[in-house]
Amino acid sequence: MKLFKAASAIALACSSSALMAQTIDIQITNLTHAQHFTPRLVVAHDNTVDAFEPGVEATSALAWLAEAGVIDDAQNADSSGQNFEALLGPTDTDNTTNTWHRFGGLVPPSMSVSYPFDTMDKPYLSILSMLIPTNDAFVGLDSIKIPTTPGTYTYMLHAYDAGTELNDELNSTRTDIVEQGGTPLGGYGAPGVAGVGASPVPLGVGGTGVAVKVGFAEDGTAIGANEVVDGTDGPVHIHRNVLGDTSLTDGASDLQSTEHRWLNPVARVTITIPAL
Amino acid sequence: MNMNKISLAMLPIIAVLATGCGGDDGSNGAAGAAGAPGVDGTNGTDGTNGTNGTNGTNGTNGNLAVFTVQLTNLTYSQPFSPAAIILHEPGYNAFIDGEAASPGLELLAEGGNPADLIAEALAATQYLDAVATDGATPPRSIGATSTLLVPLLDVDDLRISFTTMLVDTNDAFTGLNAADISNMAVGQSVSFMSPTWDSGTEANTETASTMPGPAAGAAGGGGASAGFDAARDDLFDRVHFHSGVVTNANADDASKEGLSTSVLTEADRWDNPTARIVITRTR
Repeated sequence: MKLFKAASAIALACSSSALMAQTIDIQITNLTHAQHFTPRLVVAHDNTVDAFEPGVEATSALAWLAEAGVIDDAQNADSSGQNFEALLGPTDTDNTTNTWHRFGGLVPPSMSVSYPFDTMDKPYLSILSMLIPTNDAFVGLDSIKIPTTPGTYTYMLHAYDAGTELNDELNSTRTDIVEQGGTPLGGYGAPGVAGVGASPVPLGVGGTGVAVKVGFAEDGTAIGANEVVDGTDGPVHIHRNVLGDTSLTDGASDLQSTEHRWLNPVARVTITIPAL
Repeated sequence: MNMNKISLAMLPIIAVLATGCGGDDGSNGAAGAAGAPGVDGTNGTDGTNGTNGTNGTNGTNGNLAVFTVQLTNLTYSQPFSPAAIILHEPGYNAFIDGEAASPGLELLAEGGNPADLIAEALAATQYLDAVATDGATPPRSIGATSTLLVPLLDVDDLRISFTTMLVDTNDAFTGLNAADISNMAVGQSVSFMSPTWDSGTEANTETASTMPGPAAGAAGGGGASAGFDAARDDLFDRVHFHSGVVTNANADDASKEGLSTSVLTEADRWDNPTARIVITRTR
C-alpha cells in the first residue's frame, strides 16, 4: 500500500508542474497586400487588464503603439512613462495581473512568424501590432480566453483605428508641411503616416490630405498654408481603411490606392496548446 | 505458483525447529539426532499460453454519404465563375495563405476556369469527390445546388474546399479552405461566410485586357483569353486576402484616388464576406 501511495503522489506532482508556466506557440500571419506589422506586443493577462477596447478612448500606451509602433522604453526613450511597459510592468516577468513580451522585427505582407510564449498561467491573451504605413491603424487580438485543451486554435484579426490622430495619409518624412505650430510630422503625437521605409511600395509626396487637408483645421477654417492639424477621431473603432491615390507627387494622399488598402480580416493568429 | 514454491522450501526449516524443541531435558538421556532435511518440493508446471483472438472482419465500404453544397453570391455586382467544390480528407489544400498559388488556382482566379484545380485535387491521395458547377452565379443571387458523394467511412474526418472567381477582377476568388465538416448528421446543415482572397498571381490593373468578366467585356476586352496569363506580376507571388478593387471612381478629380486605367466602377466594389456556402448532409 505504501508503494501505491508514493506512486500516486508522484503522479500528482507531475500533473501540477505541467499546469504551471505553460509555454504556448503563437503564429501570426499578415494577410494584407502591402501593410507591414510592427513589433508585436503579446500579453497574457487577467480580467483587470484590457489593452484596447472598441468604443473606449485609447490610452497613451495604445497611442504610442498605433502611431509609432512603440511598446517599451528600449524602442523609444521618449515614450517612457507613457508606453505599454509603463502600463503593464517589466517584460518577461510575472507582473501578477499580466506577463508580456515584445517580439521584434517586422512581419511583411503574406508572411508568417511564430514564437513560443510563456503565459505564466494568465487566463487571457491579447496581441497588438501597428499597420505601417498608416496614421494610427493597428491589428488587435482582444482578450481571448486561452484554451486549456491541447490543440490548435485559429483566430481572424481585424484592423482598428486607435482614434488618436486624423487619417491625413501624409508622408511623415515630408518637410514641406508641418504640424500646426511648426512641429515636424511623424511619430507619436504629430500628424503623418509612420513606417515610410518599411513598405515595399513607395510612398508619394505632395498629397493634400485625406481626412484633414493641409492648410485647414478640422472645421475647414484656414490655417497656415503648410500646416496640418493632428486631431483625434476616437474612441477606438474598426478602421475604415485607407483611401490612397494613384499619384506619387500630388492628389489627396501619399499612400497608393492600388496597394495600401485592405479588407478585414488583416491577420490570422494560430495558437497551439501543447499536450501535457 | 511462486507462493507455492516459497512455502514448500520453508517446510524443512520448520521441521528442524520442531524437532529441536523436544531435546533439552538432561535426565531423559541424550538429545535425539537432528532429522534429515526435507526434499525441496517440485516446481509447478507453467500454464499454457492462450490462443490469439481472431481478427475482426473489415467493415463494408459500399455505403455513401451524400452532401449538397449551395453558394450564395453576396456581392452587389461581381458575378462568380463556375466553382470548384472538393470534398477531401485532411492534408490536401487548394491553396495556403502566404504561399504561391498552384497553376490550377491561378487558372481559376485569373480566368474563372475550375478544371485544372479539380485535376490537381484528383491527383491528391486525400481526394474523395469533386464537382465543377455548371455556370456563373450572378451577383445578389442564390446559386444552383451541387451534390457530392463520399464513402460513409470518411464522414468522421471530412474537409471541403471551395473556390470561385469574382470575374470582374484580375485574380480575386472566394470560397473555403479545407473547412472542417466532420461528423455531420443526416439532415444537418452548416453555413460558412467567406472572405475574399487574391491569388497573388496577377497585378490588380483592372484593365479590359486582363479580366474575363462582363465589365471588361463592355469595355472591349473580357473573355477567358483576357483573364489567364501565366506570367506572375503581383507585388508578391503569394496568396493573400484581397484589398478590394480601386475602380475608376474619383480618378480624374484632384484627389486622384481612383485608377484611371480601371474599367471598373464604384459599383464593382465589395466588402467581406462575399459568399455564403451552405453544406447539407442529405444521406
